[in-house]
Amino acid sequence: MISPSITTASPDEVRPDKKRPDEKCSDKKLPGDLAMWFFILAELTVFAIFFIGFAVSEQLNKEMFTQGKAQLHQMAGLINTIALITSSLFVALALNVMHKVKPKQAVWLIVTAQAFALLYITVKIWEYLSLFEQGITIETNTFFTLYFLITAFHLMHVLLGLVILAYIAYSAWYDKYQDNNLSGFESGTSYWHMVDLLWIILFPLIYVI
Amino acid sequence: MQKHKAVSGAIISWIVLIVLSVIAIYLPTYIDNRSHYIICVLIIVLLKGQQIVDVFMELNNAPKIWRRLFLSYIVLLPLLISVIYLM
Repeated sequence: MISPSITTASPDEVRPDKKRPDEKCSDKKLPGDLAMWFFILAELTVFAIFFIGFAVSEQLNKEMFTQGKAQLHQMAGLINTIALITSSLFVALALNVMHKVKPKQAVWLIVTAQAFALLYITVKIWEYLSLFEQGITIETNTFFTLYFLITAFHLMHVLLGLVILAYIAYSAWYDKYQDNNLSGFESGTSYWHMVDLLWIILFPLIYVI
Repeated sequence: MQKHKAVSGAIISWIVLIVLSVIAIYLPTYIDNRSHYIICVLIIVLLKGQQIVDVFMELNNAPKIWRRLFLSYIVLLPLLISVIYLM
């Protein structure tokens, strides 16, 4: 930043609050790799198709979907929502401490995030098992076909997210993010937030409405 | 200072997200009309999505096109779903 006290500076330069257009552009940076964001967009599109398909099917089979939703554990869905949101918070905090060049601290925050993700997985498996005990499977009816397909597809993304988080934690622990190049770390955290973003749409659609 | 703000912003967002999630569950107790209930829940989805996109994903500091792209997703998808439910 050019000091305002320099008398030879141009009018634009002497105003520290007014940045040049190119400076404004450089401030706006997409976190992580561009490829990851395109991948996230592709994933969001696939889930959007699932969500729309679910809503249309519900309109075509209102009674079946109302009965099906009544058999789900809404409280388990809420616990999972809280688990994923809390996990996302720890991932966001991990990225913050990585910016402060404290990789070991970031690793512990990532491990905490993974613990909440494991809570999500445990609750989801318990939910599946309790439905199986009632004799409900993917073939029971259209509602449960879509329920198992969408939630299991999301669960697969949670598992992949866990692997990605483990990888970035490993890389951070061994100081692989040198020269403040956090692109890989940011890509991993962005993927995890996508998993959270999908759940906050999935949860009300399948469990609440 | 900015990093400190980022931490407090993330924690505030987390609280907002938790509160909105709990509200969404208990809404039927207070709203009898199904159409109104669906609209309220989908507005909550929109508010939660905006918090995740802007604060957790940090897209409020990203090029505008990316922020608009993700915000349009969390606006258009609930809008489309509400149209389907209210038809």
